[in-house]
Amino acid sequence: MAQTTKVREGEIWAVGGGKGGTGKTFITSSVGTYLAKKGKNVVLVDMDIGGANLHSFFGISRPQKSLTSFFEKGASLSDLVVKTDFDNIALITGDIHSIASDKITFSQKLKLFRQIMKLNAQNVVIDLSAGSHNNTLDTFLIADRMIVVLVPEVIAIENVYHFIKNSLFRKVKKTLKEYGFKEIAQHIWDHRQNYGINNLKELIDYLKDSFSYIGTILDHELASFKIHLVLNMVRNNNDILLGASIKSVMMKYLGVPIQYSGYIEYNDAVWKSVREGRPFMLNYMATGCAKQIEIFVENMIKGKDVSLPVGF
Amino acid sequence: MVKDELKKYFEMLELPPDASLRDIHNSYLRLKKLYAGDSIVLAPLGEEFPEKKRKKVLDEIEEAHLKLLAAKKDEPSRTAFLFEDALSPEKASSQPEKAVDLPTTGPSLRKIREKAGVDLSEISKEFKVRIELLKSLEEERFEALPEAIYLKVHLKNYAVFLGLNPAKIIDEYLQRYQAWKKKK
Repeated sequence: MAQTTKVREGEIWAVGGGKGGTGKTFITSSVGTYLAKKGKNVVLVDMDIGGANLHSFFGISRPQKSLTSFFEKGASLSDLVVKTDFDNIALITGDIHSIASDKITFSQKLKLFRQIMKLNAQNVVIDLSAGSHNNTLDTFLIADRMIVVLVPEVIAIENVYHFIKNSLFRKVKKTLKEYGFKEIAQHIWDHRQNYGINNLKELIDYLKDSFSYIGTILDHELASFKIHLVLNMVRNNNDILLGASIKSVMMKYLGVPIQYSGYIEYNDAVWKSVREGRPFMLNYMATGCAKQIEIFVENMIKGKDVSLPVGF
Repeated sequence: MVKDELKKYFEMLELPPDASLRDIHNSYLRLKKLYAGDSIVLAPLGEEFPEKKRKKVLDEIEEAHLKLLAAKKDEPSRTAFLFEDALSPEKASSQPEKAVDLPTTGPSLRKIREKAGVDLSEISKEFKVRIELLKSLEEERFEALPEAIYLKVHLKNYAVFLGLNPAKIIDEYLQRYQAWKKKK
């Protein structure tokens, strides 16, 4: 479905990561602002169902239009794009009347994805909900760049594993379904003990080894599954190195490419900036944070890992 | 070594194929620390990433490190003169072994380094290691050197930087270090 319709001009980036409060919305707004500063025509989409607040980062307190109209009145997505006070950045406000994520029907979801892909923008950046709900994962999977945000803390790390694992499993299942192997992945996973399978990588390896046709399909489809990791609110070098460790463990454990694209240091100016209602990247250009956002975005574009501090 | 094989080793150390000696060194240390210790990054996976798997990863890291260092050693080095002597016909016949079979004490390492025109600051910069530590290493001031496990890494880097075979140097140097430690 999503994979087959890549006729659009712009790129879709999605920002997820499982845990709430890690700064997904801050990253979305800052990445968007930086892209806009670079001259890209950017539309930000707030898909944080029930917790939408991306608009506050742009000084909009009472949005006139929101995704609610899309879900309840069938409004077209392109009519819901609102301009911000800042050059090149427009916004689709999230559903502020907290419609529950599981109330969204399958056909609404497909329609939403179709319309996101048709948005008139060079860059669409989507802010996702916390958690690993299927709708969140599906939105994540339509993106050209999949960004995962976390903070240096055990629960956030756990949630990120969960999120990446679930995204990958979802991708495998959807891919196989598209090729007519309906529930095979789920079935084997449910009976994994009989197959001597302990984890997702072993499941994927098993599928590839047992059915060469499936192997070819998965190799092809999973080639585009690449995660960009960004570590937010770091306070020291050890925190920064955690990102590299997470990348290492996830690659060795899941066998999927992960790029540790950036880290952003903790800074109180982020909170101040939200209160002031102006984009952080415009208000606090000279901070370390702002520089690190730039490095993070450039690394993503170039396909490069962030450089690590060295020494022992 | 075949290029593809090298690429595999770079991948094991999570490096691009054009990584420098310093990158190789840093990645090796970082990954070794991660998979040998109990990092909060591994804890959440529990039995999905069992001890057995961890051991395998550690072995791969060691192998990749050695293979990459060896490959870097094959690149033209400034200590080539040591081997040229041995390979030139007239000298080879008189002292075939001597020039290759190098002494491994700190002071003799220093001599080789000086003859090669390598400054300690270069090694220090390459591996982000203090010059003081390198000096202690050359002077065999064991009390100023770190534990054997780290010392080994420094010796390896030092040797590789000079294009020398690290195995013999590490072996003999550590023997002296351990003997000193026992006496203490």
